[in-house]
Amino acid sequence: MSGFLGMGGYAAYVWPSYGLTLAIIILNIVWARRLLARSRTEARRRLAMRGEPT
Amino acid sequence: MAWTWFHRLASPPHVYGLAARLTPWFAWIAAILIAGGLYGGLVLAPPDYQQGDDFRIIYVHAPSAWMSLMVYTTMAVSAGVGLIWRMKVAHAVAASCAAIGASFTVAALVTGSLWGERMWGTYWAWDPRLTFELILLFQYLGYMGLRSAFDDLQRADRASAVLAVVGVVNVPIIHYSVIWWNSLHQAPSVMQLGKPTMPPSMLIPLLMMFLGFTLLFVALLLVRLRAEILNRERTASWIREAVSP
Repeated sequence: MSGFLGMGGYAAYVWPSYGLTLAIIILNIVWARRLLARSRTEARRRLAMRGEPT
Repeated sequence: MAWTWFHRLASPPHVYGLAARLTPWFAWIAAILIAGGLYGGLVLAPPDYQQGDDFRIIYVHAPSAWMSLMVYTTMAVSAGVGLIWRMKVAHAVAASCAAIGASFTVAALVTGSLWGERMWGTYWAWDPRLTFELILLFQYLGYMGLRSAFDDLQRADRASAVLAVVGVVNVPIIHYSVIWWNSLHQAPSVMQLGKPTMPPSMLIPLLMMFLGFTLLFVALLLVRLRAEILNRERTASWIREAVSP
C-alpha cells in the first residue's frame, strides 16, 4: 500500500493532480445543482409575486 | 419533416423536460466510467518505462485538456447556431458552457504544470501549446466577463456569441501546436488514427476517462441549461408546472 501511495517517488506530483481534478469535478456538480436550485426558487418567487398559485 | 427534431430543440419547455429526463443517464454512466478509469489508471496500468508512475498524471491531464477544447467547440458552435437562426436555446447552451470549460482548462494547466516539473524541470514554459492553452482560459474568462457586462440578455447573447465564434480559431492551434512547432510538449499518443502508441492496459483506462469526462460535461450542461432556460422564460406559462415541488 505504501508503494501505491508513494507512486514510485512521484507522489508529490501524482496525488495533487488527481486531487485537483476530482475537486474541480465535485465543484462543477455542486455549482450546477446550486444554480438550478436557485433558478427554481427564483421562478417560484416570481410566480408568487404575480399572485398566482404555484 | 426531417427538421422537426431541430425545431423542437428550439422549444424551451421541450428542451427543459428532455434535459431533466436525460441528466441521470449521462451522470451515472459518467460516474461509472470515471471510477473505472481511475482504478485502471492508478492501479491496473503498469508504470511507464521512461516516466515511471509520473505518467499516471495523463489520466487526469489529457481528459481535462480534451474538455477545455471540446467544451469551447460546443460553446462556439451553439453560439453560431444562436446567431444564425436566432435560437434562444442555442444561446442558453453556449452560456452554460463557459464556466465548465474554464474550470477544466485550469485543471489541464495545473496538472500539466505538475507533470512538466519532473519531465521538463520547470512548472511553466512559454511553449506554444502551454501559451495557447492559457489564452484559451482567458477566452473563457473574457466570454463570461463580456456576458455579465450587459443588462440586456439579447445583447449579451449576440456580443458574447461573436466573441466565442471568432475565438474558436484557437482550438485547432492548440491541437496541432505540438506538430506545427518544435514543442516541449510530447506528441499525441492517443489521437493518432490507427496506431496509438500505448498498450491496451494503459489505453483503455484513458479512453474510459475521455468518455467519462465527456458524458459528465453533458450532464453538467443539461443541469445548467435548465437553470438558464428558467431565468430566460420569465413569463412563460409552462414554468409553473416545471418548478412545482
